[in-house]
Amino acid sequence: MAEKAIMYDATKCTACRGCQVACKQWNELEGETTTNWGSYENPKDLSTQTWLKMEFREVGNNGDLRWLFTRRSCMHCTDAACVKVCPTGALFYHPLGFVSYDKGKCSGCGYCKEFCPYNVPRLNTNRGSGLGRMDKCTACTSFGLDRIDNGYTPACVKTCPTGALIYGDRSDLLAKGQARVQQIIAQGYKNAYLYGDKEVGGTHVLYVLEDSPSVYGVVENPKVPGAAIAWQDVIKPLGYVAVGLVGIGLLLNVMVARARMINGKGEK
Amino acid sequence: MQEIERYRKRAIAQHWWIVVCSILLAITGMFLFLSWFGPAAWWGYSRLVHRIAAVGFVAIPVLYALMNPKGTWAWIKEAFSWGKDDLGWLQSAPTYYFGSDAVPMPPQDRSNTGQKLWMLVVIITGIIFVISGALMWFFKGIVGPGVFQWAVFAHDVAFITAGAMLLVHVILGSVHPRFSEALRSMITGKVTAHYAQSHHGKWYDRIKGGKKA
Repeated sequence: MAEKAIMYDATKCTACRGCQVACKQWNELEGETTTNWGSYENPKDLSTQTWLKMEFREVGNNGDLRWLFTRRSCMHCTDAACVKVCPTGALFYHPLGFVSYDKGKCSGCGYCKEFCPYNVPRLNTNRGSGLGRMDKCTACTSFGLDRIDNGYTPACVKTCPTGALIYGDRSDLLAKGQARVQQIIAQGYKNAYLYGDKEVGGTHVLYVLEDSPSVYGVVENPKVPGAAIAWQDVIKPLGYVAVGLVGIGLLLNVMVARARMINGKGEK
Repeated sequence: MQEIERYRKRAIAQHWWIVVCSILLAITGMFLFLSWFGPAAWWGYSRLVHRIAAVGFVAIPVLYALMNPKGTWAWIKEAFSWGKDDLGWLQSAPTYYFGSDAVPMPPQDRSNTGQKLWMLVVIITGIIFVISGALMWFFKGIVGPGVFQWAVFAHDVAFITAGAMLLVHVILGSVHPRFSEALRSMITGKVTAHYAQSHHGKWYDRIKGGKKA
């Protein structure tokens, strides 16, 4: 199956936040009570009920004020730290490349949130008991609410009125994105950038940006954390070997000792 | 046969209490290592059990230490008292524990070198478990993700170390012929004078005058 992706073109976005609403509607997420904090950006953060939100940034540039928008949600990494550290197998790679999850398997440990280079997953875990569940964008592949499987595009893409969000084969979108970036550069935006081509193995949400990612507040050079690699790829295999060797050693030791001492010359 | 008190009742009670808590902690934490334990963690109730067991794991030893500060301090000091007889023990141990009497074993105190090694593992991994566990439980979201990530790592390293050594502790203490009285002593609190003399010569000589362990 060809890998799919969502491409967000920040230069075409008016920040109407229709995607934010469509996401909530389709995924049956509740509205949240918020207060005005001096920005159209609302709510302030992602939550178990807000899987997608638009971010607003005012960037000063030689007296010019630019109002920059980004789409904050799961980036659907190819090398997803959350999948790497999820202990119950709740998080998994969807055949189309997205990072999806089975909520019934979630233990609420929150490792996914703590290890995500984009700080995207959200939990409603009770600090005392530890009970709770993780939620995040699944690119509309959630079980029972699977738009993709039914031949639709993700809800956010479907509702976007300006064509800032498009859905398709990842390879096609990469080509379109590169062409668009070249176009923007030709218009004088020297730092225009296609984000997600190489980041963390290639993300399945791509950004067309008119400036470098740092200007947009987008993570530059996201990495699977070193602790995740040290834990999953080094310590865990070493642990199996260590415990296995100790176990085998003990078994041999006890067998030899018993043979010599009990069957041999009597217990000491 | 003459018997000597090796463990007091409350020390025995504490030991088995920690056994129960450790088993619960290990089972509810095992899903991090063995994927077939994964379903045990679905819905997260295993994590609640893990926390309850963790409270027991910490609270009882702390209570014990408060009730019995001298004995606890002596136990900690013992774990860190190493000398040339320990070196000798380490050199002779492989031969000795494979059931041969070809090499002489240096006389041991109340705990032999291997037991002291286990005590060190318990103390050191215990401290790592408590600190990293508290970080993950109470300070999630307060400390940065980097601190949390390495706390998970430290907790796992401590588990592998303690788990591997626990295997040694359990097998030697229960079925190894050299420790013929170990399990019984952790139930009744007593060992025979002969066992004490042959396994813990220094200790035996020290208490022979009538002093208690």
